[in-house]
Amino acid sequence: MIYLDNAATTRPDPAVLAAMARAEEDFGNASSVHRLGVAAAKAVERARAALAQALSARPEEIVFTSGGTEANNLALKGAALARGRRGQIVVSAVEHPSVLEPARALQRLGWGLKVVGADRDGLVDPAAVAAALSSRTVLVSVMHANNEVGTLQPLAEIGRLCRRRGILFHTDASQSFTKEPLDPRRLGADLVTLSGHKIHGPKGVGALYVRAGVQLEPLLHGGGQEGGLRSGTYNTAGILGFGAAVALAQASDARRMRGLRDRLQARLGALIPGLRSNGHPRRRVCGILSVTLPKARSTELLQALSSAGVCVSAGSACAAAAEHPSHVLLAMGRSAEQAGRSLRLSLSRWTTAADVERAARLIAKLAGGRR
Amino acid sequence: MSAREVDDTLDLSGVPCPANAARALLRIEGMDSGSVLAVILDDGEPIRNVPPALEAEGHKELSRAQEKGRWRLVVRRGG
Repeated sequence: MIYLDNAATTRPDPAVLAAMARAEEDFGNASSVHRLGVAAAKAVERARAALAQALSARPEEIVFTSGGTEANNLALKGAALARGRRGQIVVSAVEHPSVLEPARALQRLGWGLKVVGADRDGLVDPAAVAAALSSRTVLVSVMHANNEVGTLQPLAEIGRLCRRRGILFHTDASQSFTKEPLDPRRLGADLVTLSGHKIHGPKGVGALYVRAGVQLEPLLHGGGQEGGLRSGTYNTAGILGFGAAVALAQASDARRMRGLRDRLQARLGALIPGLRSNGHPRRRVCGILSVTLPKARSTELLQALSSAGVCVSAGSACAAAAEHPSHVLLAMGRSAEQAGRSLRLSLSRWTTAADVERAARLIAKLAGGRR
Repeated sequence: MSAREVDDTLDLSGVPCPANAARALLRIEGMDSGSVLAVILDDGEPIRNVPPALEAEGHKELSRAQEKGRWRLVVRRGG
């Protein structure tokens, strides 16, 4: 099998699985003060330190969550509710649904919502973000790397303009964490979403970087874990697996993935006349390639590829399941029909040159290109 | 013990149990054997729970003193 759907999820690293198994055996509750509890808390704090180090942040600025979706919800709703009165949220049109839907939920509660568009490469213009701001704006949320086309947004510029206006800036870095340089302070980001299972870690764990001093209202109240921001018994296996995944990630992985992604793009372009790539040609996260095919419908092609042992996605995993045209491609000016002819191919550090060659030939064969 | 006689200081004020003990252990385990760590702790549960957690791992409490409502615990790293 050739797995090219790593933007949906990645295979956990064996070292991650080993760390998780150890956590389940050393079963102490990381909130208990006896010896087993302290041992579990120590393992959790070691994982927290690994995440903090990867962001050049302080350990106490990392809040573990159940995943990227919860982290995004905590960022948006938490910032809004902590404000105490209604204001306005600004998001980009190419955000993941776990940002767009909390923003719409706040809108239903009377909050103002401005959605900033993107250009044909999926890039959000900082000037457009600036134009959307008002005296009521509480938070701006623009993702780091887009999950469907990979475009990297100009976060430092958006962060600067938010900082000047005293507005909170959140970025969803689920697709870029450990793959692109990510220093929240340099980017001017107050809140950053991270996900475990996109980097060969486990599902069901993520984190939100919360810059020291930023006030959020928790979504989950209870035992007061995570500085009161996220109550609930620690998912020690998930957290330890996440920490192990972060420790395993290397800059050389990203360079290799970028090289293979570019080769896949070149091979598909050569084998399928009329194929078009989506996303910014240069400012793109290393592992994601989105293409629009000249003829074949992606839903049918996806099944044919699956039968042939190649796993890819049509748009995002969620959009593939819902069979809605990708809101990202629509925001980038593609028609619903063009979106329906698009595939997302996403690599991991385990993807090989042979995988890329075989997948390119199979896609070309099944999509009616050259063989 | 004066500030000059400790090798490192870790401020754990505001950090709840047992995360405070966990962070103190991680810090002291990163130091050379025989090194001295000062830990700043809140009154109440932290000063009751952290010293035994450090002792259980073989580290030796050298002193403790209350300063402005918080505790300064000085510990020598064990073997």
